[in-house]
Amino acid sequence: MRGLSLRNIWIVAKREYLERVRTRSFLASTFATPVLMSVLLLLPALIASSAARDLANQQPPPLRLVFASDNPGLAELARSQLLREDGAHYVVSIDPSLSNAEHDDLASRLDAAKIDGYVWLEDGALANPKIVFTTHRAGDAILHQRLSSALTYAFSAERLLQRGISVNDTASMLQRVDLRVVKAGHPPGVAELRGTIAVLLLVFVMFFSLLSYGVMVMRSVLEEKASRITEVLLCSTTAGELMSGKIIGTGSVAMTQIAVWFSIAAIGAARSPYVRAAVGELEAGVPLLIYFAIFYVLGFLLYSSIFAGVGAAFNSVDEAQQWNFVILLPLVAASGLILPVATSSDSMMAIAVSIFPFCAPVLMFERIAVHNPPAWQVALSIVAMLATIAASFYVCGRIYRVGILMYGKRPSLRELTRWYRHA
Amino acid sequence: MQPRVELVAVRKSYQGFVAVDDLTCSILPGQIFGLLGPNGAGKTSTIRMMIGITAPDSGIVRIFGAPLSRIAMHRVGYLPEERGLYRRMTVRDNLSFLGQLSGLSISTSAERIEGWTARLAIDEWLEHRVEELSKGMQQKIQFIAALLHDPDLIVMDEPFAGLDPMNSMQLKDILLELKTAGKTIVFSTHRMDQVEKLCDSICLVDRGKSVLQGNLKEIKAGYGSRFVQIDYDGDGRFLAESALIDSLNDYGNHAELSLKPGADSQELLRSAMSALNVRRFQVMEPSLEQIFIDHVTRK
Repeated sequence: MRGLSLRNIWIVAKREYLERVRTRSFLASTFATPVLMSVLLLLPALIASSAARDLANQQPPPLRLVFASDNPGLAELARSQLLREDGAHYVVSIDPSLSNAEHDDLASRLDAAKIDGYVWLEDGALANPKIVFTTHRAGDAILHQRLSSALTYAFSAERLLQRGISVNDTASMLQRVDLRVVKAGHPPGVAELRGTIAVLLLVFVMFFSLLSYGVMVMRSVLEEKASRITEVLLCSTTAGELMSGKIIGTGSVAMTQIAVWFSIAAIGAARSPYVRAAVGELEAGVPLLIYFAIFYVLGFLLYSSIFAGVGAAFNSVDEAQQWNFVILLPLVAASGLILPVATSSDSMMAIAVSIFPFCAPVLMFERIAVHNPPAWQVALSIVAMLATIAASFYVCGRIYRVGILMYGKRPSLRELTRWYRHA
Repeated sequence: MQPRVELVAVRKSYQGFVAVDDLTCSILPGQIFGLLGPNGAGKTSTIRMMIGITAPDSGIVRIFGAPLSRIAMHRVGYLPEERGLYRRMTVRDNLSFLGQLSGLSISTSAERIEGWTARLAIDEWLEHRVEELSKGMQQKIQFIAALLHDPDLIVMDEPFAGLDPMNSMQLKDILLELKTAGKTIVFSTHRMDQVEKLCDSICLVDRGKSVLQGNLKEIKAGYGSRFVQIDYDGDGRFLAESALIDSLNDYGNHAELSLKPGADSQELLRSAMSALNVRRFQVMEPSLEQIFIDHVTRK
């Protein structure tokens, strides 16, 4: 009997879809994930945001720092520069003495928590700028960076002043350059760092969704084999319809989950500036979302057809486990390449792996998001994926047709080849 | 009359093992047909080819006079040997899904589900998950799934397995009703005693080959009065040594035997009475099981 009945595919897909979306695990993963993601994304923003602190009405006390130097001008330059840093919340005093007794006094005040740290600017520091900052806050990287920046400015300014440059000229010579990166084709003002975070978020959503829902197709086939319902189904429908319906139904569940996540993000972005900051350019990135949908669907069709074949070939999840790793290897490799591809998106390596059909769903999408690759590369990757999907459906469909009625011992590769030939 | 099912020189092998070998048989409309044989004889493989679940390696399968088509598939109801339902779905959802796959609309399917479950007294379980049902109830659901779309050809692999006597009787009554309505019913079973009262025609298979087939009454008549049952007290070794007996199944104080061709049952009775205390001696029509054993033994 040839040809596929769309009606039967629809009935099988509908059952698969409804059965999965009604489960508690689906509801939990669909609604708990955004909460978890929100916590992970928003918590740092909330912690860093002074507005959040105002909201909580719990402004922490400023850090108390001491610059000990026998060059009050240098110390004052460093102090004023430090207080100019964005988000600086410090009280800085200058100690003009560099005696041993003064050093001991500062150390004891630090131990008594009367100050949070002191910078010891010894005589000759200008010639040999190796400065010691003593503090209990050795892990505060932001403070260290700000101090380093302020001291570098102060030393440079002091050297210029000593060469007779006026204070105003010194200030203008040392004015910091404000470098802004603007993505080509995007209006200035889009926060690129936030945009990149959103892209990486999409890439990870694609990776984990392909992984979990591909495996779900395999589990579904194994469940039907174990419950022996396959034989009943095959009396009314064909193996091809069954496999197609299963893949479409499970794929629709995955798309539903992602749609819910995106909707929650969109609603959150509309209502909360913090969520808007976290999801970055998603709200303006409709073309990107279309690419996401295209590559997600293609990736899902490719991986789920292979998983369906594997599910049909074995009798239990345990048996199929070792094949899982082989199937997922390209996807795992692609996940390892996410950061290298993001930093050198137009390298030969990035082009090659993003056209390779098993990595393309993640890496070509990532390149589109961060780099705008040439259209021919995007088209080539889509054509390559379509051809691989067709081949996968053909080969795995044949294994599926025979495998779903096979019980007993685990098939060898030779037996799988025989199934393929005899299907 | 055009056969409902025709198998012509059908062969099927699995990895070198020949499950069905050159099998030819035809099943007429309105018949109850028994595909009988011991475990591993090739019954399930034959049925799977009959309804298109698997394709034969060689030979021809026709159903309703033509190669299997989608329309023909919707005219077949199948109860497989390995019962299977979605365990976490409700009874109603299971039946509705299987009914729709067999070509029914949602509304027709819903109506028939109500009717059949009420008739088999399991309507109160409609909203329960299948995993909550007893094995017997699950079997009833499976039975309904096979009949829901009112098929013209009903194929049942070991239909009475696991059913208690009351449910077996209910199933038998429904099948007879369906036969009266003109449906064709194919049984596959190794429990020949259970179906011989129902079957019009049979095909006995052994090691993938048909060893005997035809109208059951004619087959039995062909065996004449060569089968004897004896209830006795005493040393039954006499029976094993008798030159009149072709095959013997001795239970200690009850024996079932077939006489050699031309042997006289009265002569056996006389010699038995001289050696044993005979409580009952009955010349009778052979059972299907006896016919099968006799046939295979003689081969």
